[in-house]
Amino acid sequence: MHSKLKGLFRPESVAVIGASNSFDKLGYHVMKSLVEGKYKGRIFPVNPKAAEIWGIKCHPFLGAVAEPVDLAVIVVPAPFVPETLHECGEKGVKGVVLITAGFREIEDSKGEALQEEIGRIARLYDLPVIGPNTFGYVNLGFGVNASFTPEFSRMNPGGIALISQSGGYCHLCGFLGMEQRMGVSLLMSLGNRLNVGFPELIKYLVEEDEATRVITLYIEGLDNPRELLEAAGIARGKKHIIAYKSGKSEKGDSASRFHTGSLAGDYQIWKGALRQAGILEVGSAEQMIDAAKALDVCAPLTGPRIAVLSGQAGPGMIAADAVEKAGLKLARFSQKTQEIINRLLPPIAIRSNPVDMGPAWYDAKGSLDILRAAVEDQNTDGVIFIAMFASANVGLAKALAEYLKTAPPFKKPVAAVFTAPLCIWDKEIEQMDGANGISIVPSPERAGAVMGDLFRANLLGSVHA
Amino acid sequence: MEKLLLGVDALSFLEGEGLRVLESVLAREEDEAAGAAEKMGFPVALKICSPDVIHKTETGGIRVLLKSEGEVRRAFAEIVKSFRANHPEKRVQGAIVQRMGRGFELIVGTRRDEQFGPVVMFGLGGIFAEAIRDVSFRLVPIESRDAREMIEELKSYSALKNPRSGTVDISSIEDFLLRVSNLMEKHGEIQEMDLNPVFVEGCDIEICDARIRTTPFHPVAR
Repeated sequence: MHSKLKGLFRPESVAVIGASNSFDKLGYHVMKSLVEGKYKGRIFPVNPKAAEIWGIKCHPFLGAVAEPVDLAVIVVPAPFVPETLHECGEKGVKGVVLITAGFREIEDSKGEALQEEIGRIARLYDLPVIGPNTFGYVNLGFGVNASFTPEFSRMNPGGIALISQSGGYCHLCGFLGMEQRMGVSLLMSLGNRLNVGFPELIKYLVEEDEATRVITLYIEGLDNPRELLEAAGIARGKKHIIAYKSGKSEKGDSASRFHTGSLAGDYQIWKGALRQAGILEVGSAEQMIDAAKALDVCAPLTGPRIAVLSGQAGPGMIAADAVEKAGLKLARFSQKTQEIINRLLPPIAIRSNPVDMGPAWYDAKGSLDILRAAVEDQNTDGVIFIAMFASANVGLAKALAEYLKTAPPFKKPVAAVFTAPLCIWDKEIEQMDGANGISIVPSPERAGAVMGDLFRANLLGSVHA
Repeated sequence: MEKLLLGVDALSFLEGEGLRVLESVLAREEDEAAGAAEKMGFPVALKICSPDVIHKTETGGIRVLLKSEGEVRRAFAEIVKSFRANHPEKRVQGAIVQRMGRGFELIVGTRRDEQFGPVVMFGLGGIFAEAIRDVSFRLVPIESRDAREMIEELKSYSALKNPRSGTVDISSIEDFLLRVSNLMEKHGEIQEMDLNPVFVEGCDIEICDARIRTTPFHPVAR
């Protein structure tokens, strides 16, 4: 399965079976994703009714393609899927993305039967199938968008993989992540999991996909969760796994006359099992994005002592509260660091932790010196750096971005909040996000929370604790 | 057919598996109860023993802190009499005389879940586990790291650590949870088990009461 998945996710050629020139067909949008996503391999639209699709020569059926095909994306109606899968098997494709819906997920029992049938066909040819009932996948590490959402090609490439049990969640988290400049390796929805599910993908991402450094999962429910949890065990100490579990029913077995039975709610067990498997559990898409971004680019947070440096006192206070809420503490600076701060800031500001760097607005170098001193201080484990960009302190944004171009990466995690009006300093902020071990979050509350998650992830990721 | 192990039957099974239980004797008659209490040393507790009762507190069938032979005799007569009056349909075997447990109350449970297979549960005893659902779960088998985290992640963990709660040796609880996890791996016939309460004081952990549901089948532990 492993080696086949590599062919599926890194195809040299893609056939789109059910490709279309009509906007109201998903086959149109899959073609758009491949073409506009600047896929570098060969694209073979397949449709008996067209000569050309998206300006590319169309084949009447898959067997008519003379060249080898690595990946087949299937968008034909459900009744045609079995014969199409046979064609894929005979053609020797390495894998299939089956977008078509109308299988196990529908109320009609015919759907279940059809899914069983295509399962048998896939086994016959030993064919890995993503789906059915998936929007597809986007592999930014390889440059292929095999989904019906061309907009995902605009995501930044990076080290975060999202494996979701819901296509809707991929879009929710993917689009929110784009706002936060999230760097993605692979984004995909599992659909009905014909023969590729969480365990296979976790193994693949840990062992085969170098671009992926952080694996994020959206889980609704599984018949055999132990397979996922055991697969997560191989990631421990190698790549971080983050999970968002929905469907948090706490209802236990109401028929049980035992305390344990009545308390054993599905979510109660999930919660314990995720932690046992070394998986960081999060409670929202936003939290997932913040934690994944920080784990992707920041140094590990190995202790609980956080320094808060803020260009404005208020947001610094808020971040300090958030640090404590996350179970961490405010660092007490060493004498050396305190002397540097006292030298650079006049006594009109709060100079202990949280540090009010207001007086250094016009002294970008001073702000950077304080940041550096706080990171290098042996009494700190991580730093929150807050600056709100507006006309009066715009110099700081530019100077910071400039400094980070040449500075070595920070050896401790830095969560930064650079709030600014939209569209003015987007470029500077984008440049800084992910650079030198800095991860940007949108608010001081989320800065404190992400530090808490970095700390938890560091404990969870250790093989021996 | 499934089987329910209660009272002394459950306790002696657990004792046989190497877990410590509070010394308990089933007394069928008042004289037997008085003699057992004398031998055990006061104070003792007395609990109604019926194969038809799972939760004894709900039937009023418990008397605690009995300090003399006379108190034991009176309590025996009372609980057997009132139980017969209130639950004429239920069988009575007598009463269990038990050494009083001391220290902090814990609840430890296990269950074979349909999806997850065998799981182990930990919480603080009394009614709090149930009332505020302050319990933690892990999949069997657990390692000592899991056992420690199960204890630490309770909301009421600080109560366990509070010196006013008496001294509780956390590593003894970890060890106990590991033993329960092992038991679940070894005995495929156990479907569900409540150890409630379990008393912990210092390094001493003793099971006060237990109920175990078994099936004669030995499904392969997942």
